[in-house]
Amino acid sequence: MRVDVRALGACNRLAEQGAKQAAGALSDLTGTDLAVEVTGASVASGEDLAESFAGRESIGVSVGLRGGLDGEAVLAFDAANADALLSLLPGGQSMKRSAVTEVGNIALGGFLDGWANYLGKAIDMSPPRYFEADGAAVLPDGALAGDGVFLFESRLDATTTDLDFSIYMLPDSGPFRDLIVGKTAPAAAAGGEANGGTSSTAVPYESLSTFSSLAKKGSANAADNIAMMTGLETSVDVSRLRFVPLADVPAEVGDEPHAGTVFELQGEPSGYLAILFEESSAAAVADAMLPMETDEPLGEMAQNALCELGNVMTSGFIDGWANVLGTSITHSPPEFVHDIGASTISPLVAKLSERQDYGFVIDTAIETEGIQARCDVYALPDERELARALDRLSEP
Amino acid sequence: MTRSLSDDRPDDPAERTESDAVADAEPAAVTGGAVPDDPGRIKVGVGELAVTTDDAVLTTSGLGSCVAVALVDERAGVRGLLHAMLPAGEGRTTAVSRPAKYVDTGIDTLIGALDDAGADPRRLTARVAGGAEMLDLTDAVGPRNVERVWEVLDAAGVTVAASDVGDAVGRTVRFGPGGRLVVRAADGFERTI
Repeated sequence: MRVDVRALGACNRLAEQGAKQAAGALSDLTGTDLAVEVTGASVASGEDLAESFAGRESIGVSVGLRGGLDGEAVLAFDAANADALLSLLPGGQSMKRSAVTEVGNIALGGFLDGWANYLGKAIDMSPPRYFEADGAAVLPDGALAGDGVFLFESRLDATTTDLDFSIYMLPDSGPFRDLIVGKTAPAAAAGGEANGGTSSTAVPYESLSTFSSLAKKGSANAADNIAMMTGLETSVDVSRLRFVPLADVPAEVGDEPHAGTVFELQGEPSGYLAILFEESSAAAVADAMLPMETDEPLGEMAQNALCELGNVMTSGFIDGWANVLGTSITHSPPEFVHDIGASTISPLVAKLSERQDYGFVIDTAIETEGIQARCDVYALPDERELARALDRLSEP
Repeated sequence: MTRSLSDDRPDDPAERTESDAVADAEPAAVTGGAVPDDPGRIKVGVGELAVTTDDAVLTTSGLGSCVAVALVDERAGVRGLLHAMLPAGEGRTTAVSRPAKYVDTGIDTLIGALDDAGADPRRLTARVAGGAEMLDLTDAVGPRNVERVWEVLDAAGVTVAASDVGDAVGRTVRFGPGGRLVVRAADGFERTI
């Protein structure tokens, strides 16, 4: 059974349609102009999800699905984001239940319309059920037991506030899984480059769980190396692999100034890796690494320190990959960057875009204790090479 | 409730993707449901373009090696903004589905969209920003983008009124009703061209 990773990327478009409908509905409800800024699709294992939902409160709606898709789809806002949503509404808190239900229903409807079109089959949707849930209880039934959940996350940009919400669907509900496998792989193979009779971007379904280990191992190694180098206690806050349209990546990094390092990767897969800190975090980390105070916050000494840190993080990261994939990967010397976040990453995205429209993005947020610093790692591998490496893993 | 099918369902996912991308890149004179008294803001993403015939401000942010091309026909009051990522799309299949990703197909599509919106292509003037050389790693994507912009505008007979291109600096631009382009650099320095 094979899954075309490019088709998974294309699933984003469905989520984006849902998000656009939600944005439109919200604009009407609130009189505020909202635009969809980012939509991403990812795969997460039950274990990872349970971990990442610990201590979070969500509100949202769930609907039962019959027909083209069977099972359950859930749309959830973080409780904090729900407040942002409610602040846009004239009735405020009193509107909570009805507003969330309305918005959730419209967004899920738009999302499922996209799927229905894609499948060529109608999908029956039960009336929305409003919920407030603690932790992983927000997820569809059975999510924690199976191979994992596909999640589609969207961020809407209102002028005054950002609004994030997520849609969760279980791949293990047969039709959804069949759809990704049965419908997409042959078509993509016909349209794409043939490689031993299969699409060059198709990977075995079983390898999907490897995605999360790629993200995890790399990040954990990188964090360990920071701890070793700086003596600061370091932990991985988030790490996952997503399928996104490459053109969306700069928007995701955002317009705030960032500093950090970028690397070119050679081997299987090749690609790029960017380690970006918000300016203040970069300065704080460099400061912690340097033996004396410096006059300039991100001057030459700080830059050298960040390059050195980038080096050990990147080595750790790609060692983790190489272990999972059984390949060898090397990296270029670091290049220091300090500019608008989106601008620093745009040339990397442009280079990859010469060959592909969608990309795997591994994003990792690493936090250090003691000093307030957080960095995001964007790993942008060549999709064909990564698919090839994953494919080889499943060979006997 | 049944989610019904629309008639424009493409036959396979590959086509689906493409047709969607076309929808994305499709130029539209939109104002995004702006509230009264608010002229509206249209965000142009990477590999996208937009056209307006009213007072909306067209914006695009995080330009690094990418290049923004702003075209205006002042007499007709029609403006358009392109955020292109790579120099040459001619002959590429993705250039058909997403022309705004490339400088050449993007400018051609933008001029076509402006024409459709009532502009006279012979009256267009251009303002260009971006195309920075952000990294040594990525062999001069920015300068190649800028070079291509000059070639394509020249071939189309569009006059370049002003530009702020090159260097190693990120930029964000706003293209307002006056037809001038406000370029803000990463350090906050702003200039109007």
